[in-house]
Amino acid sequence: MPILNISHISKSYGSYKAVDDVSFTVERGSVYGVLGPNGAGKTTTIRMIMNILLPDEGRITLFDTAMNDTLKNRIGYLPEERGLYPKMKVLDMLVFLGELHLMPGDLASHKALEWLKRLGLEEQKEKKVEELSKGMQQKVQIIGSLLHDPELIILDEPFSGLDPVNTNLIKDIILELKVSGKAIMLSTHMMETAEKLCDRVMMINHGKVVLQGALQPILMDHGKSSIQVEYSGDASFVSGLPMVETADIYGNYLEVRLKEGSSRNDFIGQLLKNIEVHSFKTMQSSLNEIFITLAGENPNE
Amino acid sequence: MNKIITIIKREYKETVFKKGFIILTLLIPVFMIGVTIIPALLIELESDTPLTVNVVDESGLVAAPLQSSLTDTLKNGQPKFILNIIRSGTETGQLVDAQKSLIEKELIDGLLYIPASVLDSNRIEFYARNVSDFQTNRTLNRAVEKIIIDYRLKNSGFDPQIVQGLITDITLRTVKIQKGGKERDSDFTSEYFSTFIFVLILYMTLIVYGTSIMRSIIQEKSNKVVEVILASVKPIQLMAGKILGQGLVGLTQYAIWSIVAIGISLGGSSFIPMKGNGLMNISTVTMIWFVVYYVLGYFLYSGMYSIIGVATTSDQEAQQASMPITLLLVVPLLVLTTLVKNPDSSLITGLSYIPFFSPIIMFARINMSAPAAMEIILSLVILIVSIIGVIWLAAKVYRMGILMTGKRANLPEIMRWIRAK
Repeated sequence: MPILNISHISKSYGSYKAVDDVSFTVERGSVYGVLGPNGAGKTTTIRMIMNILLPDEGRITLFDTAMNDTLKNRIGYLPEERGLYPKMKVLDMLVFLGELHLMPGDLASHKALEWLKRLGLEEQKEKKVEELSKGMQQKVQIIGSLLHDPELIILDEPFSGLDPVNTNLIKDIILELKVSGKAIMLSTHMMETAEKLCDRVMMINHGKVVLQGALQPILMDHGKSSIQVEYSGDASFVSGLPMVETADIYGNYLEVRLKEGSSRNDFIGQLLKNIEVHSFKTMQSSLNEIFITLAGENPNE
Repeated sequence: MNKIITIIKREYKETVFKKGFIILTLLIPVFMIGVTIIPALLIELESDTPLTVNVVDESGLVAAPLQSSLTDTLKNGQPKFILNIIRSGTETGQLVDAQKSLIEKELIDGLLYIPASVLDSNRIEFYARNVSDFQTNRTLNRAVEKIIIDYRLKNSGFDPQIVQGLITDITLRTVKIQKGGKERDSDFTSEYFSTFIFVLILYMTLIVYGTSIMRSIIQEKSNKVVEVILASVKPIQLMAGKILGQGLVGLTQYAIWSIVAIGISLGGSSFIPMKGNGLMNISTVTMIWFVVYYVLGYFLYSGMYSIIGVATTSDQEAQQASMPITLLLVVPLLVLTTLVKNPDSSLITGLSYIPFFSPIIMFARINMSAPAAMEIILSLVILIVSIIGVIWLAAKVYRMGILMTGKRANLPEIMRWIRAK
């Protein structure tokens, strides 16, 4: 069942429409990806969910209640613009954030220590925030958004600034939260990450929804499949075949994209006749490619 | 409400345990101790060596009686002045020059020269390496003066003893009438000093804590921490928490200072030479008014400063933009002398109703004269209504402007924030 329900929200800054008629729902035990380039309207959308900005039009319902400030205690929010008090000690900072979500002080402290241990920051608990590296600050910030065990977790670009090891650590945590029944909304411009984590996605560009739905059908419907072949022989004939739309041919490797509606089998038949095939693989195009294709169809107004 | 308390707690803890606060808190009492105790100590530590003064008396009237009337002693019981009466047939100019060179060579400390014409000219001269020792100068001057006057009185047929009895000074005792018919001994210096010091402290703390709210808003914007906080609290809660937290910091500082001041006046009065009323003759009523006006003034000014904090993006910008507000605080200082002289003049009375000035000026008036209860109430009502207005405006601006980072907001933009729903 959806716990966050966004219905036709719009927001303008002066004459600029930052968010234009966006609707979606986020369900428990799932990861919802909001994708789009910088300036697409992701952060504005999130700020409206957080009741920091008010939508000009549309309705936001959370836990079946119209959005209001008391619901904020049940949301964990990692803003895109990270911010901590640089002079505060790490543990004090986390306890402060916990108390702002109405956790009792000792519970907040206990939970914060658990998380610090888990993310390898236990030794830093008495250090000032400004003494930590960027990556460590990022982890402290993530702990701050999860400390109060929120039911809805909104993460705006959670992986920016993290090294591969920590990226993996956070990814595991997100998946674990999903399994434990939390609803997670992930905003990112990194499509590869979204592809690995999200169950449903929405792509926005210039404030408008370009595409939305479950991840797999999107990849199936919108991805044109490409075919990769390892071979030996002379493959120069491939680019002249009627069913081929584009072809990249190297000495012993080629990648082609077939015209819509043409048969893969016919293409394989042609290959077998002319060259020695060592391997054959069909690849779906990535979310990234789909996005570039779709955004390209609606170039900047 | 819990969230506001959490924010107050953080603001308070993070400011009170910071170096800046500790330094300011310590420096002011050090300063207070400095101005009250050091002069006293200096007098205590006055040099223990007698002054050797040569006296050239051409009139022949002064030297002998001077020796018997200059009986001041040092703390160790030795006489303070060692007088050598120089009699010489040489010409005066030469004699004085010779004495001067003795002073230069530090063989003697001073030369008191009494010309023959002293009865007509009323002039004597004192040469020394140090002529700024006010007390020595005055002692010598008084002593010679008395001898000359006594001589003239005798010559005119009066008995100096009787005349002395006739011209005794009358002392003026000033008594301040307070509300409820209470009276208290008081004098101009005490009134002036306590008012002056309180007004300066009000002025200073209003600026310090007002601008610290402004700077901390700018910092939160540039740290980006504000969005994290707004994820769980309303902008108005954040603003209220900050203003209350910093206000408590100010009160804490006052409490520390009061304890130090009380300590000084209790423990220090034994060796501070203060006659009658001390310079800091502070009644509880004054203290209560002081805290009331600090709190009200603080709310008004922190509200105004926080609008500047929201609208600007850097300390430098804020410094410029807050100039008009700081100038408003300077106005009471400009009229301070008028205020002390005549606290009920129409200028001061007028200013004491204007909310920007009333925290300082009405407080000073209450301390100096006794304005009618209606006047105080009216001024308080105007002030409180203004505070509500300013805080309301600040909250509007805060809600709309707090996430607008990057560029400085201009007046039309701020007006738009205020009008936004």
